[in-house]
Amino acid sequence: METSIGGPRQWLEATGAMLRFCFRVMGEVYGLKVFRYFGEALRQAGILILSSTLVIWSLIFIIGLQCGIEGAYFNRSVGSPAYAGVFAAWCDLRELVPYSFGYMMAAKVGTGIVAELGSMRISDEIDALEVMGVPSMTFLCSTKLLAAWMVLPFIYLSGVGAGFLASYLAVVQQIGEVSSGGYQLIFWAFQNPPDLLYSVIKGMTMATVIVLVGCYYGYNASGGPVGVGTATAKSMVVNIVLVHIIGMLGTQLFWGANPRAPIGG
Amino acid sequence: MMILTGKTLVSALRPPYPYGGEFVSQFLFALKLCWFPLLISTVAFGYGAPGLQAANFLVLFGALDRLGGFFVLASIREFAPFVTAIVLAGVAGTAITADLGARKIREELDALQVLGVDPVKNLVVPRFLALMLVTGLFDVYALLFGIFGGIVATLVNGAPLGPFWATFFTNASTVDLWGSVVKCTLFGAIIAIVCCYKGMTASGGAEGVGRAVNQAVVVAFLGIFAFNYVFTQTLLATHPEIQVIR
Repeated sequence: METSIGGPRQWLEATGAMLRFCFRVMGEVYGLKVFRYFGEALRQAGILILSSTLVIWSLIFIIGLQCGIEGAYFNRSVGSPAYAGVFAAWCDLRELVPYSFGYMMAAKVGTGIVAELGSMRISDEIDALEVMGVPSMTFLCSTKLLAAWMVLPFIYLSGVGAGFLASYLAVVQQIGEVSSGGYQLIFWAFQNPPDLLYSVIKGMTMATVIVLVGCYYGYNASGGPVGVGTATAKSMVVNIVLVHIIGMLGTQLFWGANPRAPIGG
Repeated sequence: MMILTGKTLVSALRPPYPYGGEFVSQFLFALKLCWFPLLISTVAFGYGAPGLQAANFLVLFGALDRLGGFFVLASIREFAPFVTAIVLAGVAGTAITADLGARKIREELDALQVLGVDPVKNLVVPRFLALMLVTGLFDVYALLFGIFGGIVATLVNGAPLGPFWATFFTNASTVDLWGSVVKCTLFGAIIAIVCCYKGMTASGGAEGVGRAVNQAVVVAFLGIFAFNYVFTQTLLATHPEIQVIR
């Protein structure tokens, strides 16, 4: 078993190779080359919707419940159970929905891409594509990125809805210390459309990175069936670290200097 | 999966105990693989989610010293265990599935059985025990670095650290700590069972191993969060004294 931790020099080389790969894939999407294979992109989008939406929603739903009960208990302990909405609104929209979206994307979509592309690489299907004159990187990687960009904002937005619903259920229906109207008043007062936009940006950055990392590890897999497994595991390591870093930087960038809360000065 | 859990528990307790060496090597393997991703993840998470957002909120009221008390709730009770579990599932769990899956594909597991070596006792049990232990210990590590993230958030806001520690230690309770460690240890058990099961039932060549890893992570994540919800709910409901802010 090999580990993904090598010397600094290895790290630098791997990072450089990955960045070059990512820029090439993104360049092909921006350069509109990918639209020659728009049908494939649509097929990938369909796969994404059918296979991943439900798990993403369910993870966000569980996280929403979690935010709800923590918020309710925390606000009860400071003597303001009616303000559970503040905790739920911030916890859901700003932090945990992006994080759980990132986790599930990495787990379901990221590793799925590595497994698929990796086994294509191992069974020489990618070379076969090249021989047939199909640019494999455009056909396999760029279409996936385009599909992700087309579909994921909507999956994300509906996921936010699932998280909100779960928090509502946990705070109002389960713990039941605040009326439905009272909860909603505070809940909606502590967020506004720019917050939602920032949250979507955070989620989409994570999704883009996850798809690119998945493509990189799958496309460059080697070493037989074992290699595919190792590549999948490695992509997960990189994805988890990157999701956390993006989450932190996003928070710092969007809310670090301005809490955007309707309180006082 | 339940059958595997039962078998694992039984063969872990029943003598002979041939899995000592494998246990140590798995333990070190998980330790070596996870410490760095976990360090980055916990500091980033502690600084971003509970640190900055809560500090923002508290600064509005001029009560930044309360951040320490909030970190007891946020870090010990919630974030440290689940970030640990996510990292362990994503890093060590996937490695275990990939390893066992590859052995399954190459028919090494069948070969072991032919040789009269029980794969559950010699492969699953050491991984199960090692992952439980390592996850429980990593929880403490994640706590330290999560709180370090909180310290950074305090310093970024230009506040002194004394009040942070004061509210932190008046609010921290032993129940919180053991709740956190027990929760994390059980997360480790969930991860180990799911990942071993998916690895040992992999089939279908190269793509099969990849797909097994994929499914293992998804199932482990959902299992972890569902269990987390139930556990937090039970802990909070049965120990009302930990909710009192002091």
